[in-house]
Amino acid sequence: MDRVAFAGAAIALAGVTLLPFAEFRANRIVSGETFRAWSSAGLLGWLLVALTVACLGAAVLPLRYRGPGVLAAGVAGFSAWVFAVGGSAARLMPGGDSAARVSIAGGAWLALVGIAIVWFQGHHLTSSRAHVAAVAVAVAAVLAAWYLDGLPKVSLVYEYRVQSDTFWTLVSNHIELSLGGVAIAAALGVPLGIASTRAAAVRATVIPAAGIVQTVPSLALYGLLVIPLGMLGLPTLGAVPALIALTLYALLPIVRNTYLGVSGVDPAIIDAGRGMGMGRGEMLWRVEIPLALPLVLEGLRASLVMTVGIAAVMGIIGAQTLGVLVFQGFGSIAPDLVLLGAVPMVVIAIIADQGIRALERTIVSPGIRIRAGQD
Amino acid sequence: MITLEHITKRYGDHVAVDDLSFEVADGDVAVLIGPSGCGKTTTLRMINRLIEPTSGRILIDGTDATTLKPEELRRHIGYAIQSVGLFPHLTVAENIATVPKLLGWKPARIRARATELLDLVGLDPSQYAEKYPRQLSGGEAQRIGVARALAADPPVLLMDEPFGAVDPLNRDRLQVEFAKIQRELKKTVVFVTHDVDEAIRLADKIALMRLGHLEQYDSPEAVLDHPASKFVHDFVGADAALKRLARVRADTVMRTDVPVAQDGAAAVAIAAGQTARFIYLTDTNGALEGWLDRSVLERGTPLVDAATRIDWREAAIGPDASLKEALSRMLALGYRSVPVVDDAGRLLGDVSLADVERTMEAGDAHVAEPGEEAPGSTDVPAAADAVGE
Repeated sequence: MDRVAFAGAAIALAGVTLLPFAEFRANRIVSGETFRAWSSAGLLGWLLVALTVACLGAAVLPLRYRGPGVLAAGVAGFSAWVFAVGGSAARLMPGGDSAARVSIAGGAWLALVGIAIVWFQGHHLTSSRAHVAAVAVAVAAVLAAWYLDGLPKVSLVYEYRVQSDTFWTLVSNHIELSLGGVAIAAALGVPLGIASTRAAAVRATVIPAAGIVQTVPSLALYGLLVIPLGMLGLPTLGAVPALIALTLYALLPIVRNTYLGVSGVDPAIIDAGRGMGMGRGEMLWRVEIPLALPLVLEGLRASLVMTVGIAAVMGIIGAQTLGVLVFQGFGSIAPDLVLLGAVPMVVIAIIADQGIRALERTIVSPGIRIRAGQD
Repeated sequence: MITLEHITKRYGDHVAVDDLSFEVADGDVAVLIGPSGCGKTTTLRMINRLIEPTSGRILIDGTDATTLKPEELRRHIGYAIQSVGLFPHLTVAENIATVPKLLGWKPARIRARATELLDLVGLDPSQYAEKYPRQLSGGEAQRIGVARALAADPPVLLMDEPFGAVDPLNRDRLQVEFAKIQRELKKTVVFVTHDVDEAIRLADKIALMRLGHLEQYDSPEAVLDHPASKFVHDFVGADAALKRLARVRADTVMRTDVPVAQDGAAAVAIAAGQTARFIYLTDTNGALEGWLDRSVLERGTPLVDAATRIDWREAAIGPDASLKEALSRMLALGYRSVPVVDDAGRLLGDVSLADVERTMEAGDAHVAEPGEEAPGSTDVPAAADAVGE
């Protein structure tokens, strides 16, 4: 038995059978009415129940069939979930009334988490050809549910459709601001980190300073920035102060990890290099930086993930990031609007994290990779 | 040739090296030895200017080292250290390529050189070139360290306890290999160690240091036989005579006219016509298989039982083994002599306890000199006189 897949399937089954699946509200103000999957989505709801049971079954398949079985069950479960959600919206939404909302309720979210666990476990157990097929099926299911079923009527999607132009602007702003802040921080932080290993005075100034910046809450930091920005004649609202604040936040992990990486190089290695006639530049580029790289990248990764989060807060000071949707959603008691801002942020953070890991696999020497024996 | 002229190194009030002068001839191994803090490593590091002397001059082949850029100087001096300091992010081949790359060699030449050096240090290039340092054992890493130091074929080699970080068995093997490589390459080597046996084994000259002073600079034999001070005497230890055995190769004292036979019947025939008690038995290729005891045979014991069968890999020594090893092999196996064989196990001769005794008595005239009686020519029992039982 595959315990992970089985646990995921059990979570999904519990979510879909024991908790409400969809919620209907006539408008944003009134409290909603909840439905179980089979009462909101009818047959599609029962199909989802059946497929979560199938996930349980796949987890106990004989070892030979288990990997593909779990992956197939996971993807089928996901497709059924999308159709059940779309089906709920299609059945519950009255025609033409735009004030009414059909939201995805707790049981459906729990089921989605459980199904995702099954899918990832199946992913883990199978080859990359199967991965591509799984994603293709999932995309096809979403498209089918969009055009044939009621997916566009689901509140979350509805909010997106209302906001779709701004949504993509916010997504790209969010990414630009996060990446920009980290890029500037890296351009400053890596040289500062290296300088810290060369001069005690630099170390004694830069690292504590970056540490203090990190302890200041993001809004307070922004507040502190207003005065110097004003004095310099720079805008005190919008992207510019946001970028400066993000850069300052991103600095510490990068400076500190660069410093630790370079200063942590075994002195015997430096001695051997010097003894063989390496100059300072050769030592830095051929020995110290390559050896510090895993830690530097780890710092970049931490900065990037953190910056994606803080960029949301910068929505308050007028930076057009996904945070704007979150704050609007809170302001107008529209939880689905909050989700519309939050979910893409999570996706961006995961992509950033995976991107840096992929970079690490490409540019860090296999001789010093932390996870030995991989590729 | 390396010449140190009145080298002094001060750190504030502390004098690490005090007015040191000595010379290392071309192709010689000079071993710097002494207790911790005697200044041996400081002295070594001043030769390639990792440390700048406070005063004095260092000449390498007549050129004042201070007239060269330190990096340029170091690229022409091999450097190997105890902690090895292999670059963990580079493969073995890339590590070896370090200095050739700094010198701007062409990639093809660098590759060929790495292969050649891996062969030299006894590691299969096809198996080791693409490995990373973390995949190596301690002994392998030290070998790569030596290969890397030799990469650009520098005339001078500085080695700071290069075999210090491995277990005694491996250190022994590395010393034997280094001695062999040095016989071939004839580098001018300055070697730091705190291990007296290592110094005696490898040195052409020993520089014994104490508190920054040179106590004695002489051949190992002279240091053992005529210590310049009580300190030197105490440092090399009371067993100087035993240590001297490490300086004598088995093939310089072994007896070569040992009775040999290819099978039992021939052995009996030889035994009948000879006074020697033991006759070595070899296979048709000349590889040692054991020996025959004539006295046992005379008691009417069947031939099969009179013959002792041995594995030459365990019971014999190589021609370049020292008398110290010969003695230790005899003591370990309980015999009064030990056969000497080549790489294929072919019998070359044997060394007996009497040969060892004679060498020890001969003192510094240890290696069969003209006029001295050739060792092993007296009627010592040929082999395998079982001790005790």
